[in-house]
Amino acid sequence: MRRLIRGGGGRDLRVDFFRGVALWFIFIDHVPGNALGSLTLRNLALCDATEAFVLLAGYAAGLAYGASMDRLGWGLAAAQLARRVGTLYVAHIFLFVVFTAQVGLSAATLDSAAYLDELHLDAFGEQPYRALLEALLLRFQPAFLDILPLYIVLLALLLPALPLLRRPVLLLGLSLALYLGTRMSGANLPGWLHGGWFFNPLAWQLLFLIGCVLGYRPPGAPAPAVPWHPVLIGLSVLLLLLGAAALWATWLSPELTDALPEHVAAVLIEVDKTALHPFRLISMLALAYLLGHAVPIGARWLRGAVAAPFVLLGQHGLPVFCAGIALSFLGRLALEVSDRWAMQAAVNLAGLLALVAVGVVAAWFRLRSRGTAAPAPPDRRPAGVPLPLPDGAAAPRIAP
Amino acid sequence: MRQASRRAALAMLLLAGLAGPGRAQAVDTTQSCGAPAELLDAGGVALPTTARAVQEGELRILVIGSASVFGPGSSGPQAAWPARMEALLARRFPGLAITVEVRGGRGLLAAETAGLLIAELPVLRPHLVLWQSGTVEAVRAIEPERLTDPLNEGAARVAAGGADLVLLDQQFSRFLRANTNVDLYREAIRLVAAAHGVPVLRRYELMHFWAETDRVDLERAPREMRVVVADRLNACLGGAMAALIMDGIAEARGKVSSRP
Repeated sequence: MRRLIRGGGGRDLRVDFFRGVALWFIFIDHVPGNALGSLTLRNLALCDATEAFVLLAGYAAGLAYGASMDRLGWGLAAAQLARRVGTLYVAHIFLFVVFTAQVGLSAATLDSAAYLDELHLDAFGEQPYRALLEALLLRFQPAFLDILPLYIVLLALLLPALPLLRRPVLLLGLSLALYLGTRMSGANLPGWLHGGWFFNPLAWQLLFLIGCVLGYRPPGAPAPAVPWHPVLIGLSVLLLLLGAAALWATWLSPELTDALPEHVAAVLIEVDKTALHPFRLISMLALAYLLGHAVPIGARWLRGAVAAPFVLLGQHGLPVFCAGIALSFLGRLALEVSDRWAMQAAVNLAGLLALVAVGVVAAWFRLRSRGTAAPAPPDRRPAGVPLPLPDGAAAPRIAP
Repeated sequence: MRQASRRAALAMLLLAGLAGPGRAQAVDTTQSCGAPAELLDAGGVALPTTARAVQEGELRILVIGSASVFGPGSSGPQAAWPARMEALLARRFPGLAITVEVRGGRGLLAAETAGLLIAELPVLRPHLVLWQSGTVEAVRAIEPERLTDPLNEGAARVAAGGADLVLLDQQFSRFLRANTNVDLYREAIRLVAAAHGVPVLRRYELMHFWAETDRVDLERAPREMRVVVADRLNACLGGAMAALIMDGIAEARGKVSSRP
């Protein structure tokens, strides 16, 4: 497996590893009733795998398309980006169809009158043509099908923003202004039935673009990094501890602590995920900062056997993500049949193995379709056909 | 964050020695189909207005929610959980004049039931409001703020009027769990309740427990048994709600009697 991992050219395996872990967590968190769901990031911090995924997706995009732009110009890089957006859109529609089929299957077994409210799920049963149209417009996003639409819009936003990667202060300034404006005005992209998108791209773009800026390497310069500073480290630790304490405080008995849980709960209600509450944003950045300094770039364990599957997952984010969402449907169906420990173990084992298999196939295919295991220097390849990305880049499509 | 039962169990474990003597024994589990006591208590929250109303001999309860407050699929209104709860409270407090009014409708969002609640508060002047919500929001994958905002407003109105409030979360079904992000909306209800210091009847966990232990499993009941099982489910829920209310009353009386 380790031969399939791309590791040359100063590629930051930490990013791949943590992206892989985030993808695994997303699979787990997308299977309600999964016992492992109480062990993922969301239980420990006021942010979860979604934030990690978006930040690291930004990192990968900044790295890949920034390098493309520097080598090929904005036009070609933008075309690659547009093709990626198209791939994501098609993947989303495919997953939507799978989801709808799954709901139909489940609903057929649930015809008890006692579950009247639950049967509202079947938007297709009530207005099939309208539901299809709204899904194509990304205005109808069923539960768990809300991350890909966000990702699609974020990548589309990067298209015009690509040249600004060279002027990170300006880019982040504009991005922050949009974020603040969104939070203050409550603006959101329109949804179909009620309110706006579950993940508001106008707010989440800030986290994504921070990732892009961190991932982009200006020609001849090292990747930007936030330097070690004791005050920043201390603040990050404090922030994460505070978040964890707040998460746990509401479980305390009011008898013990009088009104403490009430105040904490009142604050926690305000920490919304839809428009990426500042506490969630800062928690993610603090976590990334701490992990970035806790794990050295050349840490040996990153090349070890335990990390290898996750590194592989992270290096093939798109197919693994899509497979994870599709697999989570199967996992939910399986837990619908039984949620005892044997099935729990089977779902999680099969899920992780299947994800790794997707990563292995994607890596193998990538290597074979380039005709060589060792990455050739970009200048020896014909321009355009095999994507002439630097070795550190995530391939901007599922497969050539 | 959404593994409520796991967390609650852990918190319970941590606090078991500290939570005050005899609380677990105070909960009446006889009518709630074997549900463990920790799913039936009011979480240490008192229901003072209800306790006073019981003492004064007249208790008005307003039940509000979407479809399930009417006991759909059961044999009739008398089999729905509010009626079962009423019967249990009447038996527990002989001579108490109890009125239970039920308002709601299929597919209503919390925003809509909050409107109903606010309209009915000055008319019915309930001592106790039992408010069920969160299913329709979960089913339609609506932004959680559209659940928490109306719940917050409604809870504030109930408190301002001096009434007690108990929230109810979603029904458990494997279908709901498989097809919606239900844990997110359960957590939202739990946080609103914690923020306002009101108890939650953890219906989802109760029904999960009954299904897991093969006591009541509506989803898997054979067609010809559906009505019988729905009746039994409503009886169990009515018993659980009565137990929670009784615990809240006991809590209120305990607080009064321990006052110097």
